[in-house]
Amino acid sequence: MSRFLKIYTFKRMLLTTLLAVLLSANVAAGNTKVVGHYGYGKVATAEEIAGWDIDIRPDGRGLPAGSGSVEDGEMLYEDKCASCHGSFGEGVGKYPVLAGGAGTLTEPRPEKTVGSFWAHTSTLFDYIRRAMPFPQPESLSDAETYAITAYVLYLNDLVEDDFVLSKETWADVAILPNNPNFIPDPRPDTDASRCMKDCKKEVKIVSEPTISAEEVAAADETIVKAAAGNQKGADVYNGACAACHNLGVAGAPQLGESAVWKARIEQGETVLIKHALEGYQGNAGLMPAKGGRPDLSDEDVTAAVKFMLAESK
Amino acid sequence: MRQPKVEETDRLLSAIATSGEKLPIQERREFLKNGLSMLGGAAALAAGGNAIAASTAKYAPPNVPPWTKSLGAGVITDPYGNPSPFEKDVVRRNVPWLTADRIASISFTPLADIKGIITPSGLVFERYHAGRPEINPDEHHLMIHGMVERPIILTMDELMKFPSTSMIRFLECPANGGMEWRGAQMTKLQFTHGMLSCCEWTGVLLSTILEEVGVKKGASWILAEGADGSHMSRSIPMEKALDDTLVVFAQNGEALRREQGYPIRLINPGWEGNTCIKWLRRLEIGDSPYYQREETSKYTDLMPDGKAREFTFVQEANSVVTSPSPEKPLQGKGKYWLEGLAWSGRGKVKAVDVSFDGGINWRQARLTGLIEPRALTRFGLEWDWDGSPALIQSRCIDESGYVQPTYTQLRAVRGSSSIYHKNAIHTWRLHADGSVTNVQIS
Repeated sequence: MSRFLKIYTFKRMLLTTLLAVLLSANVAAGNTKVVGHYGYGKVATAEEIAGWDIDIRPDGRGLPAGSGSVEDGEMLYEDKCASCHGSFGEGVGKYPVLAGGAGTLTEPRPEKTVGSFWAHTSTLFDYIRRAMPFPQPESLSDAETYAITAYVLYLNDLVEDDFVLSKETWADVAILPNNPNFIPDPRPDTDASRCMKDCKKEVKIVSEPTISAEEVAAADETIVKAAAGNQKGADVYNGACAACHNLGVAGAPQLGESAVWKARIEQGETVLIKHALEGYQGNAGLMPAKGGRPDLSDEDVTAAVKFMLAESK
Repeated sequence: MRQPKVEETDRLLSAIATSGEKLPIQERREFLKNGLSMLGGAAALAAGGNAIAASTAKYAPPNVPPWTKSLGAGVITDPYGNPSPFEKDVVRRNVPWLTADRIASISFTPLADIKGIITPSGLVFERYHAGRPEINPDEHHLMIHGMVERPIILTMDELMKFPSTSMIRFLECPANGGMEWRGAQMTKLQFTHGMLSCCEWTGVLLSTILEEVGVKKGASWILAEGADGSHMSRSIPMEKALDDTLVVFAQNGEALRREQGYPIRLINPGWEGNTCIKWLRRLEIGDSPYYQREETSKYTDLMPDGKAREFTFVQEANSVVTSPSPEKPLQGKGKYWLEGLAWSGRGKVKAVDVSFDGGINWRQARLTGLIEPRALTRFGLEWDWDGSPALIQSRCIDESGYVQPTYTQLRAVRGSSSIYHKNAIHTWRLHADGSVTNVQIS
């Protein structure tokens, strides 16, 4: 080793030691290790992280304290989930089916549910916690999330009716029945060759669209016709209100169901527009201000209310 | 070019009325006369459907149109410019029966009408799981935590201080064409292939940020999460994150559109569009995948034996002829410039072949314009149509040597229930009258 290198190495060692001392002082003071070239941003505190760190991992990492029973879950599910997912997890309209489907994965129309397809219970808890109920994400308490998760497991015959889900019972249900059937991506899995001439003997048309352009347009037309001169109201409704009012989610009066609208309509349009703009806690459920869409103008919301009233008389 | 439709009659009438009022009296009579002829032409075209009509333009030489003899609108009439009103039909569209509502839904890029390889920001297909949030960038933060030395929270200003880079990359939903697995179903190119776009994306390489926070030993996966109501989330392997994942704040030179994740999103070049988390708020570094709903219940590929492939990230080589297409019928025999788009998540497009007889014989097309890895690539080919029916196909070969498969080849391996990653060779049936329909062939 040259003299220069020796000195260099010594200096570096000294520097490293000095840094280490500084760092340990930092760590001792509760600070995080200094890394990074730019130093942009603020160091996230444990509290800040906890507010956003909502994911649950297969082994239960991330689970909050608390518990929830199948029994409690039944009422919550009926109240907050059944309008889209059906009382038995059978799904309403195009909303996801949650239960059933056992043994259908190899059939022409597989039914992919929590019981028939999903791999981890963590996915269920995590998704309910992050995104459900559809119109009011992050509105459930930890206990409610536990209870609804337990109830969906029950709907899939995966637990008994006296089951209580918590960190303690997690290991019993963490792995779902179809878990072993997930495999890594083996692609590329085709070996097409680049033939240029006389690549096959004959060609037959085997399939053409069965839904004509006209039928697709007709589906499009349904709402347009219903709009009856209030296209703006129909557009706002479809983009913002339909999520709840199409099916009557979370106590929302369903579009076109004149029986549930009657008493509301009697209050007068002005009152209903006020409720829609400012929000309203009714007996059936909560109408968030502007349906939870603060980006909508008052005019948009008013047009949507008028459309809904015209449709629901 | 675009053909006027019956609905345009009203608009033309009112346009003529208002423009006419601004003209000097001596020109007004001629203007109205010409305007009314224009209307007649539009109606004739609409009645004729797809068939070509003789030019009905009244201002062809030697006539001089009024806009050449008057003043136009001044600057900043439109502070943020819009396309010509004559392009009003070039818009995103949705398929109402596909989803329960428009809040968790998808719209499609009008591929037949976009040129070159860049998709205009306002035409990039939309995919929402809980609608499009309206986010004030001053209130938006990106948190990076988990297995890192220094968990941080960045404001948007701080994020944009990092060195940035730009890349032209395609963005495609893995469900693109998924409605066609069991047979031809959609009637337009916009719906068979329109969950597809390509933009110049500008942002900070995720590797730069990971280096900044110091990734701990053993870290191998990253959870990316959005700030929308679905908290849309996917697990990204560390190798990809360190390779070319970009934390994007601009597309095509302007701030990201709200539909595309304003103020920030991920772009994982060549990978499933849904891994490119929009309205990105959180990156958690961990030691295993997070098995989120969108990588278990959805975006896994069910095989005929009941097994399901997970983390099928790559969008394999694919292509489609954009003209002729249902939206771009032919108008009588003669010379045509056939064109289309090809792309591959594994790198550059090496070649594209075109067949007019349903795949018996093929001709190599010309690649035109920029050829970037993992980007839309434009191809074209001069073709003399003799007026007889044809089965038109395109086939992409990428730089890895992968050749785009036929439906038969794809279904032989994957059956028809896998929903995602349908990249089979597409067939347009050209009829003798020049109209084009979607078919699948043996």
